Amino acid sequence: MQQYILRRVLLNLLVIYFVATLVFLLLRIDTNYVVTQRAGQTQVQASGSQDSTEAAKALVRKDLGLDKPILKQYWKYLKDIAQGDLGESFQAKENVMTEIGNRLGPSLELGLLQVIVALVIAVPIGIISAIRQDSLVDYVLRFVAIAFLGIPVFVLAIFVLRGSAIWLHYTPPLTTYKDLFPFPPFETGRGVDIGTNLQIMFMPAIVGGLGTGAIIMRFLRSQMLEVMRQDYVRTAWAKGLRERVIIMRHALKNALIPVLTVVGLLLGTIVSGNVILETIFNIPGIGLWVVNAIGNLDYPVVQGVVLVVAVTLVFVNLMVDIAYAWLDPRIRYG
Amino acid sequence: MQAEDQPAQPSVIAAPREWTLPKRPSVAANIWKFTRRKPLGALGMLIVITMLAMTLGTPKASFGTPDLPSRPLGFELGKPWLARYDAEKTFRDESTGRIRRYNMPSADHILGTDKGGRDTYSRMVFAARRSLFIGLWALLFATVIGTAVGVVSAYFRGWFDTIVQRIMDSFQAFPALLILILLVSLRPPSLTVLAFGLGFVGVTSVQRIVRGVVLSTREQPFVEAARVIGATDLRTMVFHILPNIMAPIIVVFSIGLGAVILAEAALSFLVPGKVPQDPSWGIMLQQTRDHLPPDAEGYHTLAAGGAIAMSVLGFNLAGDALRDVLDPRLRVG
Repeated sequence: MQQYILRRVLLNLLVIYFVATLVFLLLRIDTNYVVTQRAGQTQVQASGSQDSTEAAKALVRKDLGLDKPILKQYWKYLKDIAQGDLGESFQAKENVMTEIGNRLGPSLELGLLQVIVALVIAVPIGIISAIRQDSLVDYVLRFVAIAFLGIPVFVLAIFVLRGSAIWLHYTPPLTTYKDLFPFPPFETGRGVDIGTNLQIMFMPAIVGGLGTGAIIMRFLRSQMLEVMRQDYVRTAWAKGLRERVIIMRHALKNALIPVLTVVGLLLGTIVSGNVILETIFNIPGIGLWVVNAIGNLDYPVVQGVVLVVAVTLVFVNLMVDIAYAWLDPRIRYG
Repeated sequence: MQAEDQPAQPSVIAAPREWTLPKRPSVAANIWKFTRRKPLGALGMLIVITMLAMTLGTPKASFGTPDLPSRPLGFELGKPWLARYDAEKTFRDESTGRIRRYNMPSADHILGTDKGGRDTYSRMVFAARRSLFIGLWALLFATVIGTAVGVVSAYFRGWFDTIVQRIMDSFQAFPALLILILLVSLRPPSLTVLAFGLGFVGVTSVQRIVRGVVLSTREQPFVEAARVIGATDLRTMVFHILPNIMAPIIVVFSIGLGAVILAEAALSFLVPGKVPQDPSWGIMLQQTRDHLPPDAEGYHTLAAGGAIAMSVLGFNLAGDALRDVLDPRLRVG
C-alpha cells in the first residue's frame, strides 16, 4: 500500500510537470497577437503614434518576459512555479497566488454545496430506481435524470434565476465579496451572515447539483443493479435479513465505491461548471474572476488559475484513487 | 417422439421442402424495431435528423479549403432551406420605417425578432450549422487522434503506455472550459481554431475508452493468430484490431458530439466577444439572458436556450441508444 501511494505520488509529480509545460506552450502559440492586443489596451491612455505603439509592444514583451530566449523563459517559469510564485496580475498589480487565495472561499463553498446537493438527490433516487427496476417510478425517475443531463447548466441557471424574479418576485440578494466571506483570514469583524450566504448560494448549488446528481444517480443505479445480483446479497436474503439492512449495509456500501471515482471525476466538471454558475449568479469566486481577467487580457491570472485548478484536480484524482484502493481490497495495486 | 411411433405414411415421399434463408429485415423494419425497443433513442435520432436538416442548403460553386461556418465541407452552403429569411436581414416597419426591434412572435416572424430586427427563427436555423459542423470537425479530430493514441498505447503496453497515459492524465487535469476560454483569448476569433481546441480537449476521453477496449481485444485469439502468421505490429493494429473496435468508436463519436455542441454553446455564452459573431445559440442566449417569455425578448431567450437543450438532449439520447445496441459493454449508467 505505501509503495503504491509513493508510486502514484511520484507519477503525479510527472503529470504536474507536464501540465506546467503545456500551459507554458499554450501561452506561446501566438505571442504576436497577445502582445498586439495587450499593447493596444495600454495604448488607450497614451497617444497613438507609430513610435509609441512599438514602445508599448516592447514594454509588453518585457512585462511578459517574451524578450528572452525561449529556454530561458521556460527555466524561469518552472523556477517561479516551484517557488509558488505565479507572477503579478496586470490589472490589480497583485500577486496571483494571494488573489487566488482571496477568492477560493466562495468557489469552494459552491463546489461543496453542489456535491452535497447532488449526493442528497442522487443516492436515494438511485437506490429506489434500482430496487424497483422497470417499475413506473423507475421510468419516471430515469426520464427526469436524462432530461437534467440534457439541459445545459447555463440554460437552466438563467431560466431559474429569471423565472424566480419574474414569477415569484424573488431575487437573491446582491452582496459583495467582503459581506459574503469575512475570511481570509478573518480580517473584518463582521462575522459570517449565514442566512444571506445561503440565500446567495442555494440557487447555483441546486442548479449545479441537479445536473451532477443526474450523472451520479444513473451510475449508482447501474451499480446497485449489479451488486443486487451478487451471491453475497442472495445469501443475505436467504439468511432472512430485513430488506433495509440488505440494501443499506450489503448492497449500497459496495455500490458506492465505484461511485466515488465518478464523484472525483465530476469535481473536474464542477470546477469548470462553476465558471458558468459564478458568472450567471455573480458569485465572486475564481470562475468569475478568471472570465473577467480574460476580458482584460490579464494573462498571468489566467495562467495561474489554470495551473492551480489543474494541480488541484491531479491531487483530487490521487486522493480518489488511494481512497478507492483502501475501500476496495480487491483492487490490484498495479 | 409420438410421430415416430406411428406407422410410416405409406409410399408418399415427402416433397423436398424448400429451404430459404430467413429474409433480411428491410430498413423500415429495422427502424421500426429500433423505435419499439428504444423509444427515447428514436426521439433522439429524430432530433439529430432535424438538426441535420437545418444545416442543409443549396451549395454554391465555390470550392476551397474547409472553413467554418460558411464552407464546412470545402464548398459554400447557401441559406438553409428551413430558414425563412437571411440571417442578417433587418426588418423595418412599412409605415414608420423603424427597425422591428424585439417584436413579439407573429405570422411574419414565428419566434419574433432580435435586437437588430432580424428574424429569430431564421437565425436559430443558421446557428445549427455552426454548432453541428464545429461538433463534427472537433469530434473527427478527437476521434482520429484519440483512437490512434489509444490503440498504440494499449497495443504496446509497458513503459510506453505509462508515459502516454501520464501525458493524457495531464491533459485531463485541465479544466476543459478554462482551456477553451484561454485558447480563444490567445488567438484572433476563428471557428476553425475553436473546433481544433474542442477536439483537443476531447482527445483524452476518446483515447481512454479506446485504450480500455483495445486492452481486452489484443488478448483475443484472432490477434494472436495474426501475430503467429507474422503480421507486423502496424498491420495487426490497422487490419485486425481497428475493425473490431469500430462499435465503441462510433458510440464515443455520437455521445461526444453532444458534449462538444454544449461546450461551444457555453463558450459563446461566456465570452461572446471572443468568438466569431455569426449566429450562435450561445451568443443569442447571452444577448437576452435577462428576459423570459412574457417579454418580447424572452422568446429570443427561449429559442436559443431550447435549441441548445434539445440538441444536447437529442445527441445524448441517440448516443445512449446506439451504445446499448452496438456495444453494451460501454454502459456506465
